Amino acid sequence: MAPTHVLLESASGYAVFQSKLYEEIGSRTGEVQKSINDFAKFSKMVTLISFLPFKSAAHALENANDISEGILNDHLRSLLEMVLTQSSAKNKIVLAVADKTLATSIKTALGIQCEIDEGLDLIRGVRLHADRLLKGLEAGDIEKAQLGLGHSYSRAKIKFNVNRSDNMII
Amino acid sequence: GRGRGGKPAGRGAKGGSNVILEPHRHAGIFVAKGKEQLLVTKNLVPGESVYGEKRIAIEGPKDADGTAAKTEYRVWNPFRSKLAAGVLGGLDNIYIAPGKKVLYLGAASGTSVSHVADIVGPEGVVYAVEFSHRSGRDLINMAKKRTNVIPIVEDARHPAKYRMLLSLVDVIFSDVAQPDQARIVALNADYFLKNQGHAVISIKANCIDSTMPAEQVFANEVQLLKTMKFKPMEQLTLEPYERDHAMLCARYERNA
Repeated sequence: MAPTHVLLESASGYAVFQSKLYEEIGSRTGEVQKSINDFAKFSKMVTLISFLPFKSAAHALENANDISEGILNDHLRSLLEMVLTQSSAKNKIVLAVADKTLATSIKTALGIQCEIDEGLDLIRGVRLHADRLLKGLEAGDIEKAQLGLGHSYSRAKIKFNVNRSDNMII
Repeated sequence: GRGRGGKPAGRGAKGGSNVILEPHRHAGIFVAKGKEQLLVTKNLVPGESVYGEKRIAIEGPKDADGTAAKTEYRVWNPFRSKLAAGVLGGLDNIYIAPGKKVLYLGAASGTSVSHVADIVGPEGVVYAVEFSHRSGRDLINMAKKRTNVIPIVEDARHPAKYRMLLSLVDVIFSDVAQPDQARIVALNADYFLKNQGHAVISIKANCIDSTMPAEQVFANEVQLLKTMKFKPMEQLTLEPYERDHAMLCARYERNA
């Protein structure tokens, strides 16, 4: 089903876009792909409805861990409740989500219909143009957030001491 | 270890006026010509080696008061880095260049990644994915100094797990040595590779199928990539640096 909305999980925060003029059939044609790559054209295909930044580095890490496991974090839940479930057209909403597990979590918790496959090109588009689509962000802000989050996410994954001084096994 | 220079630590390798630096055909890579020819990249963090590799300081042109600024380069060993082997083997294009965003799958300890970081420079980004915790630890430490490297300790088979950490990229470089490497690259491409972007894939024949001749394995991988929205561009064996290895370049055609 053609998505009416798009969810982007970025290192800076969550964003929900409304999609317009999205051609359900033929999203893989050269023409549509060109429009997605072209910011002037793509910015007419989607509108930012809301961007909810993370409050701190620790908060971003907590959300990144939940996203990687497909868990609906309260922060994301509050955003989706605010912008999607209160709308009178709730039943017609189809949210493009990048991952099946998270889609199931959203559908179970909030009753919002989600789409994985047909939403992928829209998600690729908002990911490509995120720094210009997300209001209040400057060029380079997303990379800075990715860098900080990449380090904290990866450090948390590693069971060894990052300083290479493993505890000796006696 | 291998590749360590003879000079005392901290002074770097011999350079100066008897070594001439020339840009390589691929932007961001250089060749230092002295007694021998060495592939080098411009050190993003002058004064430090990452894994014991040699460093060469090259004097720039002298300014008005006769002093010349020195720029430091790090020697890139084709026997230790498959990408370096591909460059010396004569790849037409590596698609990794200054300012590019690169998704590097199979980053290991980050030795080759550090050279890719030198090539893309401060305006570029390298998203370096490595699943092994032991290697990941070295990768994180390398990335502390090179702030254009974003370390991602996660399984490249599940790109959705690290989607919060990435933008869309220009190139995927893959050296994961897994039998399902083509599928891993294609999965990551669907999430993160720009349409008309490129994949540069290092293939070790043994890792895919050890019972088949290497040439057959490479041909099969090319066919497989064709079914995954990739248009093969170039194929190169990595002799004499690696046995039964090939480097494969392909373009991602999402509308295909």
